[in-house]
Amino acid sequence: MTAAGDAARALLDVEGVDKSFPGVRALHGMRLDLRHGEVLALVGENGAGKSTLMKLLSGIHTADSGTFRLNGAPYHPTSPRHALELGISIIHQEFNLVPDLTVAQNIYIGREPRRARLLLDDRRLRADAAELLDRLHLPLDPRAVVGELTVAHQQMVEIAKALSYRPRVLIMDEPTAALNDAEVATLHELIRRFVRPDTGVIYISHRMAEIKRIADRVTVIRDGEYVATREVAGAETPEIIALMVGRAIRSGARPEGVREGREVVLDVQGLSTKALLTDVSFDLRRGEILGFAGLMGAGRTEVARALVGADPSRAGRITLRGKEVRIGNPADAARLGIGYLSEDRKRFGLLLEQDVKANVALSALRDRFTRAGFVRDGALRAQAERVAGTLRIKTPSVHQTAKHLSGGNQQKVVIAKWLVKDCDILIFDEPTRGIDVGAKEEIYQLLNQLAAQGKSIIMISSELPEILRLSHRVVVMSEGRVTRVLEAGEATQENIMHYATLRPDENPADAAELGLPAGEEKAGRP
Amino acid sequence: MTVLKSEADRRRPWWEGVTLAALRSRLQQLLAFASLIVIYTFFAFASPYFFTYDNFISILYSTVVIGTLAVGTTFVIISAGIDLSIGTGMALCAVMSGVFIVNAGLPPALGVPLTVLFGGFMGLVNGINVAVLRVPPFIATLAMMLVAEGLALVVSDSTPIYFNDVSGYTGISTGHLVPGLDIPNAVLVLLAVSALSGLLLTKTVLGRYTYSIGSNEEATALSGVNVRRWKIAIYAFAGLFIGLAGVLISARLGSAQPATGMGYELQAIAAVVIGGTSLSGGKGSIVGTLIGALIISVLNNGLQIMSIPQEWQNVILGCVILVAVYADRVRRGEP
Amino acid sequence: MVLVASACGEEGSGGSGGGEPLISIVSKGFQHQFWQSVKQGAEDEAEARGARITFVGPATESDVEEQVNQLTNELAKSPDAIGFAALDSQAAEPLLEQAQSQDIPVVAFDSGVDSDIPVTTVATDNRAAAALAAEHMAEALGGEGKVALVVHDQTSLSGKDRRDGFMEWMAENAPGITVLEPQYGGGDQLESADITTSIIQANPDLAGIYASNEGSAIGVINGVRESGRDDLAVVGFDSGQAQIDAIDSGLMLGAVTQDPVDMGRQLVDAALNAIDGKEQPERIDTAFYWYDSENMDDPQIQAALYQ
Repeated sequence: MTAAGDAARALLDVEGVDKSFPGVRALHGMRLDLRHGEVLALVGENGAGKSTLMKLLSGIHTADSGTFRLNGAPYHPTSPRHALELGISIIHQEFNLVPDLTVAQNIYIGREPRRARLLLDDRRLRADAAELLDRLHLPLDPRAVVGELTVAHQQMVEIAKALSYRPRVLIMDEPTAALNDAEVATLHELIRRFVRPDTGVIYISHRMAEIKRIADRVTVIRDGEYVATREVAGAETPEIIALMVGRAIRSGARPEGVREGREVVLDVQGLSTKALLTDVSFDLRRGEILGFAGLMGAGRTEVARALVGADPSRAGRITLRGKEVRIGNPADAARLGIGYLSEDRKRFGLLLEQDVKANVALSALRDRFTRAGFVRDGALRAQAERVAGTLRIKTPSVHQTAKHLSGGNQQKVVIAKWLVKDCDILIFDEPTRGIDVGAKEEIYQLLNQLAAQGKSIIMISSELPEILRLSHRVVVMSEGRVTRVLEAGEATQENIMHYATLRPDENPADAAELGLPAGEEKAGRP
Repeated sequence: MTVLKSEADRRRPWWEGVTLAALRSRLQQLLAFASLIVIYTFFAFASPYFFTYDNFISILYSTVVIGTLAVGTTFVIISAGIDLSIGTGMALCAVMSGVFIVNAGLPPALGVPLTVLFGGFMGLVNGINVAVLRVPPFIATLAMMLVAEGLALVVSDSTPIYFNDVSGYTGISTGHLVPGLDIPNAVLVLLAVSALSGLLLTKTVLGRYTYSIGSNEEATALSGVNVRRWKIAIYAFAGLFIGLAGVLISARLGSAQPATGMGYELQAIAAVVIGGTSLSGGKGSIVGTLIGALIISVLNNGLQIMSIPQEWQNVILGCVILVAVYADRVRRGEP
Repeated sequence: MVLVASACGEEGSGGSGGGEPLISIVSKGFQHQFWQSVKQGAEDEAEARGARITFVGPATESDVEEQVNQLTNELAKSPDAIGFAALDSQAAEPLLEQAQSQDIPVVAFDSGVDSDIPVTTVATDNRAAAALAAEHMAEALGGEGKVALVVHDQTSLSGKDRRDGFMEWMAENAPGITVLEPQYGGGDQLESADITTSIIQANPDLAGIYASNEGSAIGVINGVRESGRDDLAVVGFDSGQAQIDAIDSGLMLGAVTQDPVDMGRQLVDAALNAIDGKEQPERIDTAFYWYDSENMDDPQIQAALYQ
């Protein structure tokens, strides 16, 4: 890693920035300095103001007050395009790619090389892209269609696009959220190559281990305000987390109590789908948290979707509290008391344009908040306010539109919806994806509480510590099959990994390499 | 729900729910109404024949058919759908009304509800095509538009059906229920069904799910709402308005005109859009739609009374639609 | 009608109050050349006689409600006279009564108004005109062969008259000619063209086609051209550049033209007479002519043709 050369003069300097939206003060006296040749990690809980700061830097919004300096000169971008021209490239968490275009077309979108002003010069486009990808050591075919690439490769396209502008400052928002370890290593390699004495990187992440590996300093922000900056070398993880959440987090314990003797509420036998699942069988007991572990594409989400009838299943028998049931669609599942919280909350979980109370009441509207077809608005609002209070949803009121909430609070709204519906069986798919440490802890406690009250929970997670900490038993999947069900006592990171990489049709000894491509998780959806 | 009982249930005063956002949305409707008033005032000064009670009633009267179609189709558009079959469907319903009442000799008290239900049936077919057979709404209702256009001619043998001998039928539109007020019944019908629709949209499950499905259909389905069934219900409900419009137009003209209706769907959609409802779903209101429909009829009426050449009337109307939709976006703070 | 006094003065549309008399013309359409020529004739006559006109019409000839709204709006202006071509007489009846009660004379034109209220009707005798087309077609075919009709509309009076006038003349005077079931293209050029090509394909022995208005005729011309047949006797109605060119090129035998300019002139003349309270005949027939390559350049014909 390049040492911070001229530390005195900042490459990017942000000072005293305020920004308010109607009803919300997003940033107050925010500051930040990025030195030449450094990787600066930026951490903060969801809703701390990271996204707002990014939007100011990329010219999507304009600050109410405060100064921005790039290399000493005032920096006032008026649009994302302008920001790029001034030398700041931002890679957002959600990709800005056109799936139907090729890699080369995506990289040069909006500034395609032309002949005679009007005709596209495809040959030069491909040649330029090939040269760029080569320079960046990215193993991509310029002619490949982006929509057919894995998530990791799509991310590489984003990076190539960002770097093709030859920026001074590269900002990456949660770049590793969808990557496996090998891919993260490749990404860090890229970052190290990019960082020169005259450039710098702002790296937004929740993963402390990664920050320790790649960053020089870490800046912590909270509630729209600057908190502190530390040298990574001298900082301990608990200290950073404490700065982020403003309170100490007690580290997790193993789940209490065994659920062995309890009644089986849900029994699934031989669940299969056309696309992926083969003969998936497991049972779920009352008050149990059943973890589902596996690599990307192992079929965990598919099990959940098939179970609630969101996708058709080809075979399988589902027995609920001793009675065999048929679940043809999610409405059947909800009626039987099974709720599914998708991993992709914006697409499958929320009504972004509707307010908090409408979201919270959606599932239970007809059972609990109507009389003769008319909605009882008073009862609905009271319930929404109660549950918002219990889950500590940060919102000015329950009339706030869901899209204005931060990611963690949006997730809480989705959880609130199913709590209000009062389901006996809850399926959490990546419940803490994209959620910061403090909010994660709250969600863990919530899951434990729910289990203690006798609810049965299926928790799909890609984070092994999360699985180990919460699960009474762990179902491990690989390539659409269940390879093993582990009791809490016997589950360790190592043996979960072992069964997760076991290929059902192969000798277990050959399955050491963790090379399954990401992005297959989406396979088999309509 | 023990988790939620940890905090006491508190009674709250009504004003705690009133936020800045809610106030602003009220103001927005007020502003749409204000632009209607501005246009109205402009014409009042531009022509001495515009600002009369009779002309005011004429404007309301000319809003009835488009307004009725627009109110119904507001539900479909808020659910992120579209219904192109309402125009020719209305003509078919008018013809069916003639078949029920003139040809089959049913009393209007029976024939009119049957006609309205027939409209609902057309909507039901649209809904099944959209929700069960998964035909995109644009295509499904385009097909229904053509089917209705053709059926209206087939059923009527391409001849208008006259209601001359049916006593009281034209009174549905042209009569005056409120003595001394000189407001045609059709206008009262429009106001009544608008009030009812506004209530249904804001206060009932049907309305809530209409918004939910329009906002995010997949999330609504995964939340355990039977989206298929509700979409069918929405199209069928909107279909009732096709039937009602068929009754109102045939009662006004005293005849069912089989070849009419094409183009009405676009005017109704324009009214909905001017009224601030988003074609991408999830947003909109009945009041907005009514204001949108009124803006269109005030313009049609005012421009003609000012003797603006007819060619230019459409140009101006088109520009007003653009300005209205743009202004609405600016008001909402969406650049 | 209560008029509320307004601060601003007379705006282009002064009513009976003063100055030149205002004649409101509500036609059945306004985009077609035919209606534009009626408007032209009306404007010419109005200018010559010191009157003002407004001219409106619905977008399509099936839009009865729009026409009713337009008539309502014209009445709001209290004109001195109204010229009206009803799409549906009955739908307009209450408005005509209103005009009567306001003492505004109504002159019907084109296909007329089925009511006692209009003081007179200025129109072409469509049956006679269609019979003239049939006569020329029969003559060209030597009294034998199979003939098809592409009609613009089966509900309006003009559609029916032009269909029936043609068919009746054939039935009475040309026993050797077979007339196929009439087809309806809504006056739409494209639809009429499609109908034409399918008729030609279905009837290889077809000898002639009759089109009942300008839009239908343009469609028939295109359909015949697409099918590659050059031995058909094509007879049209009304005029317009497409028919004139087709007659020039020999593709079309000829056509019957109404005289829309004359219709517009007579309409304004009748309206002014009505304002002055003059006695008028119940029907004022406007001219119609058969025209083909031989007489097309006659000044009298030229005046009736519009391009």
